[in-house]
Amino acid sequence: MSILPTTRRTATPTSQRLGHRAGEVIDRSRTVSFTWNGRPLSGHPGDTIASALAAAGERVLSRSYKYHRPRGLLTADYLDPGAFFQVGDEPNVRGAHRLLEAGMAVSSQNTWPSLRFDLKAANGLAGRFLATGFYYKTFIKPEPLWPLYEKVLRTFVHAGAITPDPGAAYYDKRHAHPDVVVAGGGPAGMAAAVAAARAGASVMLVEEDHQLGGHLRWGDGAALARLRALRAQVAAQPGIEVLTDAVVTGRFDDNWIPIVARSLPGITERLVKARAAVLVVAPGLIERPYVFAGNDLPGVMLSTAARRLVNLYAVRPGSRAVVMSANPEGDAAVADLEAAGVEVAAVLDARRQQGVARAHGRGGLRAVETTDGRRIEADLLVTATGWTAPTSLLNQSGDRPVYDQAAARFVPDPDRMPANVLAAGGIVGDGTVDQLVEQADAVGREAARRATGGSAAGTVPGLRPAPHPELFAAGTGGFVDLCEDVSAKDITTAVAEGYDSVELAKRYTTVTMGPTQGKLETVNAVALVAHATGRSIAETGTTTWRPVYAPVTLGALAGRPREPVRYSPMQPWHERHGATPLVAGQWIRPEHYGDPAAEVTAVRTAVGIIDVTPIGKLDLRGPDVAELLNLLYVNKWSKLGVGRVRYGVMCADDGVVLDDGVTGRLGEDHYLMSTTSSGAATVWEWVENWLQTAHPEWQVHVTPVTTAYASINIAGPRSRDLLSRLTDPEDVDLSADAFGYMNVRTGTVAGVADCVLWRIGFTGELSYEIHVPASYGLHAWERLVAEGADLGVRPFGVEAQRILRLEKGHAIVAQDTDGLTQGFSAALDGLIKLDKDDFVGLPELRWQQGRDSHPRLVGLQPLDGTVVPPEASQILRTDGSIAGRVTSSRMSPTLGRAIGLAQIDPELAEVGTRVTVRLPDGRDVAAEVTGLVHVDPEGERQRV
Amino acid sequence: MSSPLARSPIPPGPATERDGWEVDARVPGGPLTLSDETPLAKVHVRAPFDGASRAALGVGFRRTRRADLGAGEVLVVGSGPGEWLVLGAPGTAGALRAAVEQRLAGTGEFTSVLDLTHGRALVRLHGAAAPAVLAGVCAIDLADAVTPDGSAFRTSVAGVVTDVVRDDLGGTQRSGAAASDNGGVRSYLLHCERSSGRYLADALLDAGRLSGLAMTGFRGLA
Repeated sequence: MSILPTTRRTATPTSQRLGHRAGEVIDRSRTVSFTWNGRPLSGHPGDTIASALAAAGERVLSRSYKYHRPRGLLTADYLDPGAFFQVGDEPNVRGAHRLLEAGMAVSSQNTWPSLRFDLKAANGLAGRFLATGFYYKTFIKPEPLWPLYEKVLRTFVHAGAITPDPGAAYYDKRHAHPDVVVAGGGPAGMAAAVAAARAGASVMLVEEDHQLGGHLRWGDGAALARLRALRAQVAAQPGIEVLTDAVVTGRFDDNWIPIVARSLPGITERLVKARAAVLVVAPGLIERPYVFAGNDLPGVMLSTAARRLVNLYAVRPGSRAVVMSANPEGDAAVADLEAAGVEVAAVLDARRQQGVARAHGRGGLRAVETTDGRRIEADLLVTATGWTAPTSLLNQSGDRPVYDQAAARFVPDPDRMPANVLAAGGIVGDGTVDQLVEQADAVGREAARRATGGSAAGTVPGLRPAPHPELFAAGTGGFVDLCEDVSAKDITTAVAEGYDSVELAKRYTTVTMGPTQGKLETVNAVALVAHATGRSIAETGTTTWRPVYAPVTLGALAGRPREPVRYSPMQPWHERHGATPLVAGQWIRPEHYGDPAAEVTAVRTAVGIIDVTPIGKLDLRGPDVAELLNLLYVNKWSKLGVGRVRYGVMCADDGVVLDDGVTGRLGEDHYLMSTTSSGAATVWEWVENWLQTAHPEWQVHVTPVTTAYASINIAGPRSRDLLSRLTDPEDVDLSADAFGYMNVRTGTVAGVADCVLWRIGFTGELSYEIHVPASYGLHAWERLVAEGADLGVRPFGVEAQRILRLEKGHAIVAQDTDGLTQGFSAALDGLIKLDKDDFVGLPELRWQQGRDSHPRLVGLQPLDGTVVPPEASQILRTDGSIAGRVTSSRMSPTLGRAIGLAQIDPELAEVGTRVTVRLPDGRDVAAEVTGLVHVDPEGERQRV
Repeated sequence: MSSPLARSPIPPGPATERDGWEVDARVPGGPLTLSDETPLAKVHVRAPFDGASRAALGVGFRRTRRADLGAGEVLVVGSGPGEWLVLGAPGTAGALRAAVEQRLAGTGEFTSVLDLTHGRALVRLHGAAAPAVLAGVCAIDLADAVTPDGSAFRTSVAGVVTDVVRDDLGGTQRSGAAASDNGGVRSYLLHCERSSGRYLADALLDAGRLSGLAMTGFRGLA
């Protein structure tokens, strides 16, 4: 390990760009400029960031997670653990996948002071102290020091820097319902998609890379010809929607399939929520690294990486190469390298027991030590030692892969797959392209049949995994997990310490828990655990591959900000007049217009108007409404006359207060019920539930009409004067005799017909609540403001209303009550009619009254009237135990002193009792229990 | 005192007056549009799920039909179990309610007929790309085979409980019995609580931003 610069010579890297390649994906006619750690570089459209860096001669692209070892390209694709970059303000960009864009500012992550000279590489010197379990063993004691440990450890986190400003990034979501989702756009995926589409299915074809084609893209001329043909077949099928640069991130019940898609016009990332009838899993195979000492040196890479670099990006991956090959793909890499002008110093044929023992170098590969003791100078070591079947989506479908020793890989168990999941191509077995396509074609047709309800099932030809030597580790050390810097020795140590199950070893060492999530590492880790325990790989088994298949950004999960909000018809007026908005559930309401105390005074001395549209309103019709009201309210409703209004409280079966409001009888079989604003939906559901389940024989129709009306409360001694200016006494007579307290009328207000007028009094003043057909709400409000100017009319908000009702001692459900407050604890003694035959909550309320040990709702006034105890302040007995709490408190502008409501135990509930209130800051203040009503206890102001 | 003007919860662009309503003055048009149809009369009916009233209204749950119930051409929507919504021209709510009440009076069933014109917001999403826009905010399968022209369903749209009615315009076949593609242009009526109307319109415009969705003038049922 070295903290010295990563190359001996400091010469400027030279271009490694090759001449034209048949399958290249770069556009040489254009150049893209970007910066790498502040240094200007260029590449071509089609380059990934990493391929552009490689073409520029950069071999060290990052430092490793724990030891800050220099790292280069390993896979040259989405999974490459050596190519995570900071791009502008976006961290953890997969640089071997992300396409180069003009102006990108690319930098290495967590390197200081530079990538070449990284002081944190000193960790490598202490490597033997940072072995498995280091964190668990070291930082557990002394516990109080953990915050300090945490602070220091955070500086070592191997990740980029985020910005709290999301900028212009646009994330959205989309729902989709394709018949078939094909996960993987290689030859098998394309063939399956085409076959399914030809059979009449709608298909979504999802490919992780930027182009369809899989391994055909970096193949020979025949492969490229086949690629062109398959792409043409896909393009010819209008029933196929192709998503490239997209990942199927999981498979959930009933084929709910989230797909994260990038590279869409104008969209940073889109989360597609697909519900597919059939999922076809066709991801191909992932090439597996080989574990040996020095296997993480820049210059050591997989055969597929070398072939991608050469054939897709026209980049020479090295000058002098050693190739360890155990399969035809490795042999093809030899040919590609030679064609690219790379000197192939040696080919180690693993099928003939030739292999790599160690790689040597400092900051980059310099020599390869073979198992037969040779030392070969080289700057490139290519390994082709086996394949891993990425069975994640199948695992998530209930499948459990089994180990095929002859093929040296886990393969799916087709008997455990559900009917709506199929597998195609290399994940199933090996074959020529023709054989893969033939199998996938049959799978595609079968998928369409299952999705669209076709008749007889077809025959799907089998694919058997080809024999392959078992090659996992050379036994000389090296890294198993390059994301997490987990070495072979770490695995052995973990087993020796007793973590002898692969699941335990995983959690203890964090192997497979990095950004690649085990796709490169799992099988090697299993093999090492098996070797250390003496069990077979089949006996050892794999770890569980859970969703998500690939990391998902928070932006993709969040999508567009969609928080429903509700507005009253008067909202434009409130906004124009400087109302401070209050978020009350989904409603946006005026909290105040600048001075809530003055708004209170206006109501007490003149007239105020408040927008109370959010009050829940239910239209009740039918001959059995009175029966319904009698059942749901604790008080009596049988004798409510037409034109009358009554206050009612609903309790749940357990006697706990559910909601309250007034209900007016508009006609013989027609009522209008109001609820609390927050309880509107609950009460509607409650009413429907009782009607539909307990009394379906009752003839009652309930219709929510909360927003059918704009509701305005006109309150204050001059409210009658104001309203009379907008009504015709021939239509609605507002005189006290004709329209008394707790009455309801219908008529025309401000020229608007079909209004409902209630004379009720939440504020304790003479007041009218008018409900205007909502489309005319703003008109009515503006008329009230205009007509009331000389009367001193003033709009008031929710805060003033809270003060006014508190002065009057009116409780608010869910403010002065909670989820345990039964009726008699809410000062409803006079309202609850236990002599009724039945109502919801009756038995519990009888028991509550009989026990007589329940808390009481009382008024409360601090002796020092300048102190307003915050709501939820506790009330203490003399021995310091808790006897209750303050439920509401405010400074009363009318009385000039603090007032409140409190729930308090019965022995302290007598008016005049002195109690102690403990404030949140720990101070105690003395207070006196009072009656509920602080202002106008006789009710003279509202009954005029 | 002049007659008050009814206002939609969705602020209009350039405004004009029509049948007592303030409406968007723009001429409806464009390949992909959202229009505020709140001024349409909306009469809500409650009646037994599958009785004489259903026969009188001529359509059941989840389907729609064009008809004349005695107050001009209307769209009758089977919006819920035992629940119907009848949409008519602006300014006809009173007459429409009376016509529906009269039609149902003879059934002998317990029914309720309410004018909810002022209690609901209504927009029309129109254009070939309308399903793609809607797919951004609604999880329902909008394929012809699942929700053909003439379908009605209640679901969440951008988090708001919404009645969605597929009402293609310009097609040749309007019964909506079972056919899918009738040659018309995809069109959806979206109907929600009035207080959520402004939000719903904003959410749809946002979902359609990349598709070129634009606000246009009042279309009506035609």
